[in-house]
Formats: sequence, structure tokens, C-alpha cells
Amino acid sequence: MTANPSVFLLMVNGQIESANFPEFDDLYCKYCFVYGHDWAPTSGLEEGISQITSKSRDTQQNFVWNFPIDISFKSTNPFGWPQIVVSVYGPDVFGNDVVRGYGAVHIPFTPGRHKRTIPMFVPESSSVLQKFTSWFMGRRPEFTDPKVVAQGEGREVTRVRSQGFITLSFNVVTKDMKNLGYDTTTADLQNPSVSTVTDASYRT
Amino acid sequence: MAEVHVIGQIVGASGFPQHSLFCKWGVHTGGAWKLLSGLREGQTQVDNPQNEEMASWSHPIDIHFATKGLQGWPKLHLQVWHQDSFGRCELYGYGFCHVPSSPGLHELQCVTWRPVGSWQDQLSQLFIGGGVQLKNSDLIYSGADRYRLHTSAMGTVHLQLGVILRHFDRYGVEC
Repeated sequence: MTANPSVFLLMVNGQIESANFPEFDDLYCKYCFVYGHDWAPTSGLEEGISQITSKSRDTQQNFVWNFPIDISFKSTNPFGWPQIVVSVYGPDVFGNDVVRGYGAVHIPFTPGRHKRTIPMFVPESSSVLQKFTSWFMGRRPEFTDPKVVAQGEGREVTRVRSQGFITLSFNVVTKDMKNLGYDTTTADLQNPSVSTVTDASYRT
Repeated sequence: MAEVHVIGQIVGASGFPQHSLFCKWGVHTGGAWKLLSGLREGQTQVDNPQNEEMASWSHPIDIHFATKGLQGWPKLHLQVWHQDSFGRCELYGYGFCHVPSSPGLHELQCVTWRPVGSWQDQLSQLFIGGGVQLKNSDLIYSGADRYRLHTSAMGTVHLQLGVILRHFDRYGVEC
């Protein structure tokens, strides 16, 4: 138990629950985390590929992956807070694997249970001819590195089409953020963050 | 010095007459604020939604400020533009909202407006597009010379901003 911590920890677990893509079938998803220079993962998997799932037969037409996410980070600075980047792929008419959507969202920073539904988008071809050839050859426009989706720079030159949504749920636990002086909810400011460790463990 | 982290996304926009929209955003602060890391301004991708009414950008915002005072709390100002099939860009709206001053996650809807010109301007805008724009973009977030403007309402920009404050309780600030 250190009295003056210099790092705080963020523990996230959760799942990529389901998705809603009205036009496609047989999809799988990949996830990865993007974070700043002050962050380092301490345990858990940074990347993963899910199973291939088909649409449900009922009226909702959901895709369910139920794919677990489990990772912990340590950091000295909230700048560069981790984001999860999800990319969804599926087969086209000719059987090639093409990208169906990219999406990114910040991991929530308040401890507790959170659900996020994020829109997914796909880069668009620059001309009608390119659109036809890419449909025909099965080589759609895609990002060379999906991590671009989590950054703000260089996006002004991309044209995208948004289609579909993905639902993720998270459970977030943080350690030592209050001890370092960070307030992530209004309730924190009622109780001063400077206190001894024994006081903190017995306070109700 | 107290610190403020703004971590969130410009989620998208709805209520605009056409699709194929992008947004230019910037953050304006007072003199006591210093930008420690992150980008102070940027531009989102151009989004053309397939099935939805809402254009989705999911543009990440991650800014770290240090401040010596409460005056000049950061304001996020936005310009929504439309890119047509010929590649021309047309202004669709200006808007601003303050970064929330309490820590936590906030869902914000930022309303936008567009300046309205004379009837000749409106007639030509109907046929060839374009329209009047502000010469000085400071007017988006300041109230100083607004009385000269005549504007009309446009759509809404949806934002999800998370705010983390540091050391504000040391200075006795309640927020």
C-alpha cells in the first residue's frame, strides 16, 4: 500500500454484445485498443477476432457475438485514454472477405457498468467507376491500419458511409485516480481526495 | 495548477437538409488556460449515412488543459459543412457549446444556425447553392457583434464529452 502513488490503474472487462447491420449476413469482428504514450497494458489481450455469426431469424435481425473483452492498463496521465476500435468483416456476393464497418469509442472512465451503441462506417470509393470495379473484384476501400479510426488527424480527407451499429458493454474499475487528484464524477468533489489509506477503506 | 481533461467524441449530426456532412471544430479558451496536450481543432470525415437519418462521425476529442483561473472556461465551436457530389463545400451551420464544468460523461446537443442574406442571396442559394458565411469566425462563440446578424435555424450536432478534473478541490472549487 503506497501512500503516494504515481500511477493509476484502469481495469476493463466486458463484451462485444451484438450488432445491427440490415443489409449483410455472416459477419465477424476484430477489436484492438488504441491508447496514448503514457499508457501501458498490464494484463489481458489487446486484440481479438470473434466467431462468424449469422443474422437471427426473427424481426430484429440481430447479430450476436457475446465476445469477451478483458484488459488492464496503467498510466500516469488521462491524456490518451484508451479507445476500443472494432472492425466488422463479412463475405460479399462473390465470397470475398470485405470490410463492413469500423467504429471506435473511448473506454468509459467512471467506475461501474456502461453500455455503448456505436455507429459503424466504411470508406467510400472516390468515383462511380472505382465503386464498380471494387464491387466486381472484391477489393473494397479499407483502412490499412484500423487504428486510424481512433485518431482525429487526417480524417478530413476521408469520405465514408455509415451503416450499422454495434453494442458493447463494459464494467470499469479504477485504482488510485482519486489519490492522484483526479475527479471523474461530481460525487468525488464532496469528499476530498487527500486522505490516508486506512480512512478510505473504512469510509462508507 | 488545476487540470481539465476533455475526453469524448463528436458523435454526429441530425436535422440537416441533406446528407454528406462534415464538421470543423475548435476549442477556444481564455487567457488563463494552457493547452498541455491534444489537438485544439480539427475536421471530421465526410459521412453519407446509408440507412439512418443521422450522419455519424465518431470523431475523438482528447484535450488536456492546465488552468490558473475559472474565467474563459473552454468553449467548443463547430461549423457543419455539406459536400455535394461535385466536391463543392457549402456551409450548413455554426454552433458552439461550453465544455461541461462538472466531471463525468455528458451527452450534449449543440444547436446550429446559418446566416441569412438578402432575398437575392436566398434566391441564388436555392438554385446554385452556396450562401453567405461569416467573415470572422469569432462571432460563432462571442456575443459582441451579434446584433447585426440575421440567421435561421439548422440541425443539431450530438456530442458525448467526458470531463475529468484534477486538483479543483484543493482550491475550494465546487463543481
